[in-house]
Amino acid sequence: MASTPDEPTMALIVRHDLRLSTGKIAVQCAHAAVACTVAAKKSHARLTERWRQSGARKICLKIDNLNELQRLAGQAQSAGLVTHLVKDAGHTEVEPGTITVLGIGPGPRRSIDALVGELKPY
Amino acid sequence: MPQRTMGLRAFIHRMTAPKPEGAPPTGELKMVFIVNHGLKMGKGKIAAQVGHGAVKATLDAANRHPLLVESWLASGQKKICVKGDDAAHLETLEREAQRLKIPTARIHDAGHTQIPSGSLTVVALGPADPSQLEPITGPLKLL
Repeated sequence: MASTPDEPTMALIVRHDLRLSTGKIAVQCAHAAVACTVAAKKSHARLTERWRQSGARKICLKIDNLNELQRLAGQAQSAGLVTHLVKDAGHTEVEPGTITVLGIGPGPRRSIDALVGELKPY
Repeated sequence: MPQRTMGLRAFIHRMTAPKPEGAPPTGELKMVFIVNHGLKMGKGKIAAQVGHGAVKATLDAANRHPLLVESWLASGQKKICVKGDDAAHLETLEREAQRLKIPTARIHDAGHTQIPSGSLTVVALGPADPSQLEPITGPLKLL
């Protein structure tokens, strides 16, 4: 992809062990994306604007289980990145309160890649 | 105080945006994503495209219909995902929604992966009252 390491990006990390349907994953990722964007607009206004102007890059990745998702969320927070954990309301497919997706960013691509570089695309 | 963190562009936008009209809506607002099923995108691809649609729809509507967006965010930002047949089908549904004054946002893929550049992947409708959306998206299958 023709983008520099400094271009802002967003990572949406989905729990693979829950075996969610396509529509469910899409909606949960959308929750994370909106929540992260709304938060970042307040805390990182200029970076968020730059991210939008450059195409609002998003990447969807998978992770094995909740433990790893939470560890990653902790690391991202320590790195000063915007994060959001999506808890499902549990009307369908999973128990209420199940954590399904972690959103990280928008943030500098280099810092996000350093955290999620090992994960596979969904 | 909010002006300091909001950035000049957002600030100007707020100053020049039309005033919100009417009382805030009371129902549980929804956002609906119509995914172009003809493109045969992978799960992760669809998720990212719907994510684009959600962010774009939210930010666009935040300027034009701030009360709708606040109410939608406060009630748990309900979203559903349905299947559309192809780009023409998505465009037809988008026009119907526009005729009913429902906010719409369309996503064209940059085409880095999987599908041809510029393909219409997702049309987002709302946030809007479910009764308004029903005639347009009711007949469509859930994704």
